Amino acid sequence: MNIVVCVKQVPEVTDAELEINREGTEILKEDLEFDINEWDNYAVEEAVLIKEAHGGKVTVVTLGDEDCEDVLRTALAMGADEAIRIDEQGFEFSDAAGIAQGLYHAVRDVPFDLLLTGAQGSDDGWAQVGLTLAELLGISYASLVVGVEIGEGTITVHRELESNTQEKVEMPLPAALTIQTGINNPRYVSIMGIQKVRRIEIKETGSKELGLSEAEIGSQGSSVASQKLSLPPVGEGAEILTGSLDEICEKTAQIIRDKGGVM
Amino acid sequence: MTPFRTSYWHIEPVWVFYLLAAVAVVVFLFGLFAHVSVWVRGIRRQTLPFSWRGISNLFLDGFLGRRIFKGDIAAGTMHLLILWGFLGLFVGTVLISVDYWVYHFLKGAFYIWYSAGLEILGLMLTAGLIWSLIRRYLQRVPRLERRFEDLAVVVFLLLVVLSGFAVEGLRLAAQRQEWARWSFVGHWLSLLWVHPQGALAAYPYLWWVHAFLSLGLIAFIPYCKLFHILAAPTSIYLENQPPQAIPVETRSPDDEVFSYRDMIFFDACTRCGRCVEVCPSTGAGEPFSPRDFIVWARENLLRKYHPLNYFTWLTRWANHRHTSEQGFDPQKIWHCTTCRACLDVCPVYVATQDAIRQARSKIIEEGIQVPSLLTQTLKNLYKYDNPWEATKKKRAQWSQDLEIPDFSETEEAEGLCYFVGCTTSMDIRAQKLARSFAWILKHVQIPFGTLGKREPCCGDIARRAGEDGLFEKQMEDCVELFDRYRIREVVTSSPHCFNTLQNEYPAFQALKPPEEQANFQVRHYTQLLRELVKVGSLWFENPLHVTVTYHDPCYLGRYNQVFDAPREVITAIPGVTLVEMAHNRANSLCCGGGGDRVWQENLDADVKMAEIRIREAEATGAEILITACPLCLIMLEDARKTTSLEHTLQVMDLNEFVQMALSLEHIPGEQSVRRR
Amino acid sequence: MDEILVLAEHRQGELRDITFEMLFAANTLGKENGLATAGLLLGHETSGLAGKLKGACDRVLVIEDPELAHYNADQYLMALETAVKDRKPLLTLIGHTAMGMDLAPAMAARLCLPLVTDCVELSLEEGRLGVLRQIYGGKINAQLVMKPSDHYLISLRTGAFDAEVEQGKSGDVETIPAPAWTNLRGRQFAGADILVSIGRGIGKPENIPLAQKFADAIGATLSCSRPVADEEWLPKSRQVGTSGKTVRPKVYIALGISGAYQHQAGMKNADTIIAVNKDPMAPIFAIAHYGIVEDLLQVLPVLTEHLATK
Ligand SMILES: Cc1cc2nc3c(=O)[nH]c(=O)nc-3n(C[C@H](O)[C@H](O)[C@H](O)COP(=O)(O)OP(=O)(O)OC[C@H]3O[C@@H](n4cnc5c(N)ncnc54)[C@H](O)[C@@H]3O)c2cc1C
Ligand code: SF4
Ligand code: SF4
Repeated sequence: MNIVVCVKQVPEVTDAELEINREGTEILKEDLEFDINEWDNYAVEEAVLIKEAHGGKVTVVTLGDEDCEDVLRTALAMGADEAIRIDEQGFEFSDAAGIAQGLYHAVRDVPFDLLLTGAQGSDDGWAQVGLTLAELLGISYASLVVGVEIGEGTITVHRELESNTQEKVEMPLPAALTIQTGINNPRYVSIMGIQKVRRIEIKETGSKELGLSEAEIGSQGSSVASQKLSLPPVGEGAEILTGSLDEICEKTAQIIRDKGGVM
Repeated sequence: MTPFRTSYWHIEPVWVFYLLAAVAVVVFLFGLFAHVSVWVRGIRRQTLPFSWRGISNLFLDGFLGRRIFKGDIAAGTMHLLILWGFLGLFVGTVLISVDYWVYHFLKGAFYIWYSAGLEILGLMLTAGLIWSLIRRYLQRVPRLERRFEDLAVVVFLLLVVLSGFAVEGLRLAAQRQEWARWSFVGHWLSLLWVHPQGALAAYPYLWWVHAFLSLGLIAFIPYCKLFHILAAPTSIYLENQPPQAIPVETRSPDDEVFSYRDMIFFDACTRCGRCVEVCPSTGAGEPFSPRDFIVWARENLLRKYHPLNYFTWLTRWANHRHTSEQGFDPQKIWHCTTCRACLDVCPVYVATQDAIRQARSKIIEEGIQVPSLLTQTLKNLYKYDNPWEATKKKRAQWSQDLEIPDFSETEEAEGLCYFVGCTTSMDIRAQKLARSFAWILKHVQIPFGTLGKREPCCGDIARRAGEDGLFEKQMEDCVELFDRYRIREVVTSSPHCFNTLQNEYPAFQALKPPEEQANFQVRHYTQLLRELVKVGSLWFENPLHVTVTYHDPCYLGRYNQVFDAPREVITAIPGVTLVEMAHNRANSLCCGGGGDRVWQENLDADVKMAEIRIREAEATGAEILITACPLCLIMLEDARKTTSLEHTLQVMDLNEFVQMALSLEHIPGEQSVRRR
Repeated sequence: MDEILVLAEHRQGELRDITFEMLFAANTLGKENGLATAGLLLGHETSGLAGKLKGACDRVLVIEDPELAHYNADQYLMALETAVKDRKPLLTLIGHTAMGMDLAPAMAARLCLPLVTDCVELSLEEGRLGVLRQIYGGKINAQLVMKPSDHYLISLRTGAFDAEVEQGKSGDVETIPAPAWTNLRGRQFAGADILVSIGRGIGKPENIPLAQKFADAIGATLSCSRPVADEEWLPKSRQVGTSGKTVRPKVYIALGISGAYQHQAGMKNADTIIAVNKDPMAPIFAIAHYGIVEDLLQVLPVLTEHLATK
């Protein structure tokens, strides 16, 4: 069972104060730390688990600048066997379809039975790349996968639906899946682990090598004409309670009582 | 007639005995070989310097049993009886061979002394063995296990001595020598035989039984806990060798995680259970005990590296056998708080906490079984240089309004560098101790500064988790910063930082060329305060009438022997009464915050370690529980709430206490602290 | 070209709220720009649904086939393609739901359409589509202007628009009679008037009793965000949000929950929302009525005490 996993590096923003550059096109990333996209982390783990159970090879692919090698190394340390980095040059301002084009050209010659991506990126949240890729490759797919069972030439997956429900779908291999969090427990990657894989060569490629024209990718290939970022109004709606901890709690207790909380 | 020793009297054919002896020795050697073949697989980097301390320990702990007496005089005496009895008889037997083969000297007055001596040794051994049985099976000393092996070993030894006495009795009954009464036990037994003829007839049989048992015992040694006869002295000798530094870079995937020393320690363990008695995790009812870990590690290693593994079917059989047994779950090693209490009481210096750290590094390296919260913590440590929050920005927030120089914004540091540490910097409760310390330093006008938000984690958390790669990275960051700003003098709030800088860094630094080695001195703040008190710059004008008790943090006390400094500071304040808890100083009970337990989930049993500790503090009747570690502070503060002691007991860091004492207004009459 | 096509989403015989939310968006946009709205129903025996749809759109299109009885990406894609080729709408709206997330990207790739997912606002100016998206977990707004195209595919975030769409219209429907399906919708938290919900900010499971104590003090039920359920600190059945439960208690207290929209979708209709979060920029404050910017571990014991003392 050979598996390709597409991963991406994202800035961590949960506890960060975000700022936007003057042009309003990007957030300022100097002070941010980067890591593998949370959903992709689950995808890599799932690939490695499947490999460990059924044999085969796991190839991870990312599209990004040189710093993104870190996520590939992380994936290698988790148990992936090969890594490909598509250089970001030419892909700036691509929309999800443009990114999918890049990945498509990089993976179409890699023999695989399964292609995994995260369900979405924690940064721009397009939730598109995995399925667009599947469509370009012309293979069956399932999104929001929370369980995988490998069969003979087929695969059965559990898709997560709303309201705490799931559905089960079966499809022939090769197939593409977008992985939802919680499907497994991604393993810890230690520095020792990273060091062990430091000699594995990362294959480099780029838009030119892949034969992509400017019209297909980047801002030309994107269907978005412009994008302007702004900070949502702070605390809109919420009245922030102030004072000492004691005062705040007194007020809150009163609110809870007023609103009919305490029985 | 001069008394003399008769050897092989009426024993035919003697060569059978030699054959058996040879077999026994071969079996013994093979067992020894099996252990040694494990030892040589242990990771080893630095050479072993010869150590006189080691030799003297060998005498004190080995021959005199110093550590066995510690805390348990009965056990010490019992063990000494067995040890000396056994050793003496062993030497006695060797002397017989010398007498027979080399030089005939067991005769005359010397032989009489010799005979009487052996009798006494035999009686000592017998008494010791019987006593050990009583302790284990009648008194049922709680820390002792009652495995089959425990009974077998004692019974075996007992059979050897008793059969020895019986053989002697028969021989004397048959020989009726006039000097026989010096062998008083044998003599007394011989009186039971009225007919010399009968005795003579029975003698050879019993002789063979005794010979068989004795040789069997020799062969048996490496296969049971008697192996500690060899391993314990080795481990006692090795105990004070400097710690090894094994940089991650130099490790290969096939390297064993345990060092050769750990492996010898494991083999030296007699399952005496002293560690179980003091382990705070076991004590709190958690499903972990250091002894179980040691035994598990020993068995695993032996199975893994046994010479018979050459025969794969044997390995398979052994593995199969093992899977059907229920063993120790390696996940349990996350329970250890690395408090070092076990090492302090272990007669053979088994450093469980060190071995556990090594075992953890294996789990970390494999990555699959790492507790999920710890995974998060380690990731934060890597990215944000602190275990608490996913940001670096908040590190200096505690000092925002205090105008403390930030050395990382100067060319060269002037004065003392206060290394605040992660928990003290980020935890809201612990921040207060930093503020107090800064206040005190200003009060005594000592120039100092911090590294502001550039201050990295010292690496302790990664080290305890076994994430050595991260530890080394953080160490390098730290050393590099100290070097860049020419920081020579460091003082820490956390005993954990102190211990890491003081004891963990040097071994690694020593691997570098001298000019690149770190060059700074580190103290814990309690040491600094004590000094200030001594030289008279820190003094207290007004009395503070309050009863306090002091909790020794493991990494300050047991790890670094700093027991007196904080106590001297406390008692320098007039009016303060210091009372001690049931467990204090080297015997202190861990608060449960060490060993990265703060950053893991679901370790606590019904009662938390900190709750046990705070109950001890409560029992002293003290109004304030003082400690000197940010982790202890937050753990005990939490326990105070969960045990509803909020209104009877305060928890304070020593800094806070000192600040309080210094800022007292002089009001004649009584002072009540609690009202402040 | 002058139509907005809305893919109706239904499960177990019920139209889902997202359908009406999309129709609301489509009708508003349609009115401003002179576009008609068409609801597209894919399924088998869906007449009951068509009836419920027709008041809210200018035309109801039904594709009926046993193959469409259950949602399946393959058949749905084909049917959708047929409808789109037939109608040539300017905009096709799909919900950013488990179904929409499974359909829209593939559809866009197959038909080479520009796709914008997870939109919270829409506008049309001189034939150019503008959309508002929220990125970085809701911490940043991104206003996008799309390149001109004669067909856009848009997926709309659940809960971004009002589901109470005006029912003034009466679209033509091609209906085939079918039995009404019984309501099999997922269970909701029964009877809880007050919910105390914990997120990743709770730190570790050991802290849960703290929240439980608080919940007990006010007679509330404890629920959680997804990461807490993923870690199995609370059972999955307690999860609030799109992939968990949708709740509407009198009071909802969010402790250490950042307020990702998937979570918001499950609780924002609560009458009163009180949020405790260390991060003043946390998106949860945007929908909360009252906010406390503090460490929840500090707040909880004090708050519990305040509630207990009266
Ligand atoms: C298809 C799909 C479906 C999903 N369904 C759901 C769903 O049904 N329900 C759901 O909840 N999520 C769902 N998610 C996940 C969602 O996107 C978020 O990842 C999740 O809601 C975040 O949970 P959180 O707020 O608990 O954690 P985080 O985003 O990590 O936020 C933790 C917050 O706690 C604060 N905090 C930390 N410590 C403290 C402290 N001591 N005191 C006070 N505050 C503190 C932090 O400032 C932060 O804001 C879904 C995602 C996808 C893609
Ligand atoms: S480790 Fe030491 S204290 Fe513990 S059982 Fe073994 S010998 Fe005794
Ligand atoms: S170091 Fe402390 S917690 Fe760990 S095994 Fe030893 S006694 Fe137990």
